[in-house]
Amino acid sequence: MLTGKLDRGGKMIRTVLVANRGEIACRILRACSEAGLTSVAVYANNDAGSMFTELATIAVPLEGDTIADTYLNQEQILAIAGAHNVDAIHPGFGFLSERADFAQAVTDAGINWIGPSPQAIEMMGDKMTARLTMKAAGVPVIPGEEIASEDEETMISDIVEASQRVGYPLLLKASSGGGGKGMRKVEDPADLIDAIKGARREAIAAFGDGRVYVERLLTGSKHVEIQILADKHGRTVHLGERECSVQRRHQKVFEESPCPVMTEGLRSRMGEAAVMAAEAVDYVGAGTVEFLLASNGEFFFLEMNTRIQVEHPVTEMVTGVDLVREQLRIAAGEPMSCGELMLRGHSIEVRLYAEDASNNFLPAIGPLAVFRPPSGPGIRLDTGVREGDIVTPNYDPMLAKLIVWAPSREEALQRMRRALDEFVVLGTTTNLRFLRELCDQRNVISGRTDTMLIERVWPNGWQPDFAESTLDAALIVAAVSESAGLNKTKLMQSESIDGLVSPFQTLNRRYP
Amino acid sequence: MHHEFKFGGEKYEITIAKDGQTWLLGDYTASVCDDGRVLVISPDGSTKFAHSAKVGDTWWIHYAGHTLCLDKTEPGSQDNDSDQGMTAPMPGKILEVKVKDGQSVEAGELLLVMEAMKMEHRIVAPNSGKISKISFSVGDQVQQGDTLVEMAD
Repeated sequence: MLTGKLDRGGKMIRTVLVANRGEIACRILRACSEAGLTSVAVYANNDAGSMFTELATIAVPLEGDTIADTYLNQEQILAIAGAHNVDAIHPGFGFLSERADFAQAVTDAGINWIGPSPQAIEMMGDKMTARLTMKAAGVPVIPGEEIASEDEETMISDIVEASQRVGYPLLLKASSGGGGKGMRKVEDPADLIDAIKGARREAIAAFGDGRVYVERLLTGSKHVEIQILADKHGRTVHLGERECSVQRRHQKVFEESPCPVMTEGLRSRMGEAAVMAAEAVDYVGAGTVEFLLASNGEFFFLEMNTRIQVEHPVTEMVTGVDLVREQLRIAAGEPMSCGELMLRGHSIEVRLYAEDASNNFLPAIGPLAVFRPPSGPGIRLDTGVREGDIVTPNYDPMLAKLIVWAPSREEALQRMRRALDEFVVLGTTTNLRFLRELCDQRNVISGRTDTMLIERVWPNGWQPDFAESTLDAALIVAAVSESAGLNKTKLMQSESIDGLVSPFQTLNRRYP
Repeated sequence: MHHEFKFGGEKYEITIAKDGQTWLLGDYTASVCDDGRVLVISPDGSTKFAHSAKVGDTWWIHYAGHTLCLDKTEPGSQDNDSDQGMTAPMPGKILEVKVKDGQSVEAGELLLVMEAMKMEHRIVAPNSGKISKISFSVGDQVQQGDTLVEMAD
């Protein structure tokens, strides 16, 4: 570790390449700009003109049409890094962020990798290896079994056998998984084989690795994760917890810090376990250790995400630590700048998705004809889109993260309701109203959230709830808009300068 | 002025009157602001600003924290919603076809599985009936709105 520090410590970072797109690319490019660094964005053809390409010092197009040819194309990204004298690469989340081979290739090319070592990524990235490593380090894991087989038939028979010991309900998880892909909940043994096939297929499609393992599904538990930071000077700290229990299709939609049921004692025990987990793999940089917290206060290691996370802003809001800035600092070999952990107030984040919450959260596409985010005190919006952009099926349907901060949880929830009411998105179906109704749920208000909340509250799916008078008003607005020809004026707005000729243009004409 | 809209499968006919710069309907009044928003004064006297945008034939309305989509229909037009085909909700790839031509299926029965945006989507029968046509096979790419399966009652 010490030699690592000396080797890399002396290397200044001047130019950072961001190997990502959308919202997280914007977040990192802005951090680079604030740190006075030159930044390089890379973008696929279908991202030309995207917001993140405008926030970079230089934006370089990627050749190719598929994700594999562009954002996952290691050689092409490294070639661009070489051509632009890049000192460090930030992978964001998703894409190449948890690819140990890429971290290795970047390091081998003499470029600073903003993240942990390839070994740490590998040990944590393979969920089965991570389970074994954590067991060995004394961190509690969920009851379950690792399955070594890879071909479909052996895997099915092994899992069927293991399921007898693990018990129902159970969860099938892709060993290389994340984001709910390759994951299946099984309640009835009769559904097991179909579920194994589906999980394996989805895992192969998403990660090129069909290995699947079994865990007991712990119902009524909370998803609580600990943010950690480790620098190259031997310091590893935790920055408190985030609670992300409210999920749909195993994807988080509502995240907060602190966790409403957290106590000082539990926080320090979970924090210690997270630091232990990080130290067990000589972790460097920002990372997250995810736990399931049972209602009796017992907690179990779920997985470690070896990258910056989508929901990192809630931690930033309550700790005052700029996590992306710390990542840059740590990568440059400097000690992290944050001192003693100080939590202040409460922060909530919701994820705005282009999806139809009333139709099983099916992703949606369309133009962002109107996109007006809320503003005012305690509001932060992390997004990669703006009005006029088109939502395509090419990438993840997350449009934005809306984050609020307030002195107390109750006030944060009130602020979130206000912010969601102000948020206007027209032209593409979003989950805005679903998120707004979520804020009114009894268990969300009381903080008694668990991972099954959405399925329990809306067992037959969610449908918007509104008064007849709302529909009346909407009909009138539509009739007035149609009668007044608002569709035409809206489209014309950019060209409507017709009647208003710029005086400077006339000046030019008069005095050529 | 007279307009017809469709919302949630229901047809709504609406006639609004214009008085100077304001529009009237029952006890509601509305007017268009300079920035294109619509100011609505409710029967109880409360005022709210609404946003509207037309995409294709659909008016997207944001009012009091709600977003509603109202389809503009031409007065007297026929409903052609009785289409029995099941369409692709978005562009993607067919992963599995669970039924055969001529097979009888129950409402809610799984017909096929497709992949879009890296997630699997299950297409189920909206009602009971007999499969009369399957337009795609496993591995085919489909476009949004493509009819995947047709059914006869």
